[in-house]
Amino acid sequence: MSEQTLFEKYGGFSKVSKVVLAFYDTLLDSDDIGPFFDDIDMSRMVDHQTKFIASLLGDPASYTDNQSKQLHSHLDIENSHFDELKEVLSDTLESHGFGATDVEAVLQEFESRRQLIVG
Amino acid sequence: MSIEAINEQLLRAIGLGVALIDRTDFSFHFYDDTFEEWFGKPEDEAGLSGVFTELDLDELHAGLNKNGRYTAETRFKNKRRTMVIAVDFTPTMEGGREIAVLVCQNITRIRELESMIDSYSMMVERNNREIKREKEQVEKLLLNIMPRSVYEEFKTFGVVTPQLYDPVSVLMLDFVGFADMVASSDPSVTVTELNDIYSAFDRIGEQFGCERIKTIGDAYITVAGFPDPTPDHSKSAANAAIRFIRYLERRNMSHPNQWRCRIGLATGAVVGSVVGIQKYVYDIFGPAVNLASRLQEFSEPMQISVQHEMAQNLRDQFDMENLGTKHIRGFSEQQVWHLLDSTKIASRAG
Repeated sequence: MSEQTLFEKYGGFSKVSKVVLAFYDTLLDSDDIGPFFDDIDMSRMVDHQTKFIASLLGDPASYTDNQSKQLHSHLDIENSHFDELKEVLSDTLESHGFGATDVEAVLQEFESRRQLIVG
Repeated sequence: MSIEAINEQLLRAIGLGVALIDRTDFSFHFYDDTFEEWFGKPEDEAGLSGVFTELDLDELHAGLNKNGRYTAETRFKNKRRTMVIAVDFTPTMEGGREIAVLVCQNITRIRELESMIDSYSMMVERNNREIKREKEQVEKLLLNIMPRSVYEEFKTFGVVTPQLYDPVSVLMLDFVGFADMVASSDPSVTVTELNDIYSAFDRIGEQFGCERIKTIGDAYITVAGFPDPTPDHSKSAANAAIRFIRYLERRNMSHPNQWRCRIGLATGAVVGSVVGIQKYVYDIFGPAVNLASRLQEFSEPMQISVQHEMAQNLRDQFDMENLGTKHIRGFSEQQVWHLLDSTKIASRAG
């Protein structure tokens, strides 16, 4: 039996969709990270956030490391941006009822991609 | 509170943007706070096209005349968020003037959700395709170790009941001096060649309706009339046996490694079943299997030995040679035959 992913544990897409939208709202409102999305088409942006959250929660895996790297290579993303996003992610998950250890696990997943995104 | 005041409050409460447009010059008669919040204060002279730059006024005009209604969708950026507003025009008369009621609805969230569903369903569909592909791979693997009918049973019930197949013809083949070949030359070369040969045997067997059951080292076992019964199972097995040898002879002409086999053929009953729970193999058991194995011992390299009953079935179509009565270990004394390749006899005679 394969282990249950966080995606499954927290109610699959119906629940995760709310996390994605909340995350999307916060990102757009943020003056630190928001500008990265100034010229991004809405459906692309939503697509990106959906895949991002889904892959962090372990299902269905969507972005390979290589893709993540390529998608961000043209952006001047600094560690501070990455930290800010981590903060947003943490808050969003917490406000959607994710347990502390699970939030920590997701943040670790996220942290492991830092090198792909920053720089 | 007057009716008008109640209406106005209601309009505010439902979060719609409302405006009244003059149909002759498309200027604004009225717009509410929500409308202003979304689109800003309309400039007098620009009118409707000043607010909705992409709106086709001719189309709007035509739509109102023809259908009594016109709807469109407009997008703009609020800070960096793409807002999507559905606009709906309905014509009406007010104090003798043709006007249009414009109702604007914020459908941003709906469009965002739609995008997300698109994105997610694409992921799910891709995953489904991957799962399907993996399932097919597993199926292919299992079909390599058991007949399809057995696999179907295994898939449905999780177990396979042993089945009696009677009669079938069993072909047992092994190579002469295989152990020496492995010891003397590069074992990986030998095994690679063995793999080529087995694959060729599989193809030949398939042509004649033989189902390969298994290989054990240098022994190759295939069965005709199995799992679906066929009346000419003995001929199928005989034909396959002759072609196996022809194949090896031709191969030996162009390869340094000489592969020579001995074959035993026997007809009878076998029981087929999956054996094992975790590491299951499909296998057959029965006197026909044992007899084919014993008969092999009566073959010189590149010869085929045949059980008496089976030989009776083959005699009208194949050239057979009687070896006389032999004692077979584990079986009663019985006649043993050799199956000959008629094309070779013909060429020898000519």
